[in-house]
Amino acid sequence: MKYVGKIISVSLLVAMLVLGAAAFASAETFPEEEILIIVQAAPGGVSDAVGRAMAAAAEEFLGVPIAVTNITGAAGAIAMERVKESEPDGYTIGYVPVELSMVKALGYADISPDDFDLIMRVNIVPAALTVRSDAPYQTFEEFVEYAEENPGAILVGTSGTGSIWHIAGLALEEAADVQFTYVPFDGAAPSVTALLGGHITAVTCSPTEVLSGVEAGDLNILAVLGAERTPLFPDVPTALELGYDVNVLAWGGFALPKGVPSEVYDTIADAFYQAFQSERFTGIMEDWGIELSYLDGEGFAEFANQQFEMYMDLIPRALEE
Amino acid sequence: MQAIQHILQPGVFLYLVIGTALGLVVGTLPGLTATMAVAILTPLTFWLDYESGLAVLVGVWNSAIFAGGISAILINIPGTPASIASTFDGYPMVRQGKTGLALGINVLYSAIGGLVGAVVFMIAAFPLARFALAFGPAEYFALGLFGLSMMVAVSGASIIKGLIAGFLGIALSMVGLDPMLATPRFHFGSTQLMAGISFIPMLIGIFGLGEVAYQMITGEVSEEGTTFIASKKIGRMLVRAAEFVRTVPATIIGSLTGVVIGAIPGAGADIASLMGWEFARRASRRKKEFGTGSIEGLASTCAANNSCLGGALTTMMALGIPGDAVTAVLLGSFIMYGVRPGPAMFTERADFVFVVIGLMIMVNLVFLAGGFFFSRFIGGITLLPKPVMWSTIIILSIVGSFALNNRVFDVWVALLGGGLGFVFRKYGFPLGPIILGLILGPMVERNFRTALIISHGSFWIFLTKPISLVLILGTILALIGPTIFRKKKEDIV
Repeated sequence: MKYVGKIISVSLLVAMLVLGAAAFASAETFPEEEILIIVQAAPGGVSDAVGRAMAAAAEEFLGVPIAVTNITGAAGAIAMERVKESEPDGYTIGYVPVELSMVKALGYADISPDDFDLIMRVNIVPAALTVRSDAPYQTFEEFVEYAEENPGAILVGTSGTGSIWHIAGLALEEAADVQFTYVPFDGAAPSVTALLGGHITAVTCSPTEVLSGVEAGDLNILAVLGAERTPLFPDVPTALELGYDVNVLAWGGFALPKGVPSEVYDTIADAFYQAFQSERFTGIMEDWGIELSYLDGEGFAEFANQQFEMYMDLIPRALEE
Repeated sequence: MQAIQHILQPGVFLYLVIGTALGLVVGTLPGLTATMAVAILTPLTFWLDYESGLAVLVGVWNSAIFAGGISAILINIPGTPASIASTFDGYPMVRQGKTGLALGINVLYSAIGGLVGAVVFMIAAFPLARFALAFGPAEYFALGLFGLSMMVAVSGASIIKGLIAGFLGIALSMVGLDPMLATPRFHFGSTQLMAGISFIPMLIGIFGLGEVAYQMITGEVSEEGTTFIASKKIGRMLVRAAEFVRTVPATIIGSLTGVVIGAIPGAGADIASLMGWEFARRASRRKKEFGTGSIEGLASTCAANNSCLGGALTTMMALGIPGDAVTAVLLGSFIMYGVRPGPAMFTERADFVFVVIGLMIMVNLVFLAGGFFFSRFIGGITLLPKPVMWSTIIILSIVGSFALNNRVFDVWVALLGGGLGFVFRKYGFPLGPIILGLILGPMVERNFRTALIISHGSFWIFLTKPISLVLILGTILALIGPTIFRKKKEDIV
């Protein structure tokens, strides 16, 4: 086949041109080109909502378009590694979730908060203990009592082994001195489905994820496992109030690869802060029931490092069992 | 009804047509999926009122699933994973010179399936959603096992080769993080491999690049794949009355399977299309024709993957739980429109629910009207010279596998899939089983292990739950049935 060589080379050439076109970009003043936000989760969840809402709101203040792309896999490690290794020119920004402080302890990737120039923390999501409303316990105390009497009988659905909601379950288990059986699912939504179907007894994911089940009366949220009560369910107590030392929360923010020039960093940080306060951004966050909790770059770095230390200690111990 | 007035506004209808047209393009191009299209369009639709925005999204979603069948039929490359089973009978029909009929069946039965899905959603949303909740890990395991037993049916001449291919698929699906312990396995120290082998690039490689490589290197058209030039004519597209009557049972089975599988969270249109085909095959009196260009086979799977959408929407709206990737994105867009899916929306925002139902019905009529013309137009590409065809497929495959997740690694996966596809064709291994292994392997593994955690290690959980028991008995029957009921079996190896 005399065509073979030609066809392959022409095809590869065209494919490379298409893929490579975006790679040629240089900048004198920032920003000149389109900016990219990398989100570590699939479209449709909280991370994606925050990333896209921020992109839409910050465009106005930066004056260039902001694209959002989703790179999933390995608890976000693939996406965060991509951000870490990208050119520190300000054109690649990552959405960083709590897993930023966890993936190293989990052994997925060599990533820590110090690998990034953190821009800001945007939101926090507390964990919550939710059970079926037809369960034999109606309060947190009754639940703990039941768990004490039936060690291992409580089937706690998690969003995956080593995931933040699994850690929440482990922390509760430790604080209440009881024994659960963990059932890992592929994300929080399938675990809530399994709870609705009666295949498991409890979940320890965020209040947002159980909202429609609770509203419909099928599920009962017993306690918030974060530091403060959630605006979604102001009547539900925290485990801390009830005397159990549990404080697990997911969070999210934005980060740049380490080594971005300080003028570029300031430009982005200012624009993102303005966007954070804009009605456009806060409106979308409100629709989603996302609890906003701002920290500036410095504060966020300190917070993320604290969390990092905590998980480096907690995760290896927890997963040993 | 006010809702009917809402969706009959000329503006809304126009947006529905625009969405449908976009869906045709997205669905036909391998590598662009319905999920991606809906995700990209969602932020753009916020500028519109909710009826128009939903019209665009519903249009893209439904018509992309339908249009995926066009490339599955014409060039044996599924446009979206939902059309894998359309290659089983659609491509053989093209080789037999029935290009038009295959494309016509795709249009007509996708629309019928879509309408069935929408109607079931309208009249039985809550019972269906409640039934879907009965599916726990044990039931998912049994369903996956039942699906894997299809390997025998799609193995073609050699069951041994089919099983080798199938288990290779399962083995490939095991690369990445262990589903239960989240420990990396078979990743050879690479973070990229730790995320697993992406299914769609693999699919594109096996079907697209593999076929092109085979044709270029051997100079012939593979048995398994299709010729890109089957006949100089497209031929009639409409089914005859007698043919229609013959496909009625397969259509009913395919549609209902699709709705139910769609409603079960965690099983999407890809699994629905495979299962719809398998159930229709089991029920048919002409089982042997399935996989060789059967109009019943094609009709059942085309109906199943579109009726699946109504089912998926049911669970998402009635329970507030996204059943698959597309409904997860749609759930996000509902929230942006200020409506939170869940039982409450059916009373508080009944107007919104009616608009969704209305659009789900109308979109099928829109692509039914336009689909014939579009299919005939696209059908023309099979008449292009081979070198042009080959280059186009190589470019689409590489760009498509990259675009999916913006990972260069996925391009390597597609190339690996292309190598596999070539070897498979060269040595007569069937393609169906490896795909089944890749799709169903993870479902079977994860749910088997999850069910055993729930039962504290007891295997009775699989036999004491009615749905699981029935599916497992069905699987056993499928495997040993033929040897018992058939006197001689010459094609066992």
